Amino acid sequence: MTIFGGFNTSSSALTTQRLRMDVISSNMANAETTRAQQVNGEWVPYRRKMVVVEPNQKTPFSSYLHTAMGQKGEIGSGVKASAIVEDQNPFKLVYDPSHPDANVEGYVQLPNVDPLREMVDLTTATRSYEANVTTLNATKNMLMKALEIGR
Amino acid sequence: MNLFSNSTFNVLERGLDGSQMRQHAISQNVANAGTPNYQAKTVSFKHTLNEAIGNQLQATKTNSKHVDFSSNKPGPTVQVNQNTTYNHNGNNVDIDLEMAELAKNQIYYNALIDRMNGRFQSLQTVIRGGN
Repeated sequence: MTIFGGFNTSSSALTTQRLRMDVISSNMANAETTRAQQVNGEWVPYRRKMVVVEPNQKTPFSSYLHTAMGQKGEIGSGVKASAIVEDQNPFKLVYDPSHPDANVEGYVQLPNVDPLREMVDLTTATRSYEANVTTLNATKNMLMKALEIGR
Repeated sequence: MNLFSNSTFNVLERGLDGSQMRQHAISQNVANAGTPNYQAKTVSFKHTLNEAIGNQLQATKTNSKHVDFSSNKPGPTVQVNQNTTYNHNGNNVDIDLEMAELAKNQIYYNALIDRMNGRFQSLQTVIRGGN
């Protein structure tokens, strides 16, 4: 752990939350996109994307070694977004025969994006971002205070 | 007589070390507040404070070659909070608790630094001969 360990931890979280917000923006923007990609000459609608997050830990071996040697445990260094995965839930089917992508029965496949759910996720990401800004500022204030020792 | 190596500075230094490490742990918990299967970490350093004050267990020595007990825990220790669940995804970070701990830790840190500055001030007063 270095002096700036706390900064790195908080900033990794800020990056992750910002990525989540970007992905949510992408989902909202494509909530009606019926031609996201072509599979076997057929247009397939946009699939909702999700971010997978996991703790950013040092190599497992060193942490096992530390534990085995009875040393103090490791705190770790923040969080990381390890993948962006697609939601495999089925698409919404809407009856709209005038739509250019309607099938022979007149149904259109729309993306499996639920705007309400995206808004809830967006709020969560924003609040988490704010909490991390608070810890970052707290760490910064502590360091600035430490510089005043002996003044 | 040693000017700086009295117990006050030692205790304050250990306190600052522990407090900084606790700050790092809080940052880590807040950063992982939404991470599935993450378990909150806490830092304890009361025992290092006790050592600095000199409350450690003394070995009874009957031979000059006997060695003192030494603590195998240098510095603050990190515990993983494994007994609680706070969320259905296996995460047990209580964000309200963490924010409260953050405020507490900041005040504690500032208090330690104030005390340290106070000690330095007294030393300076003595060095200047009370002027």
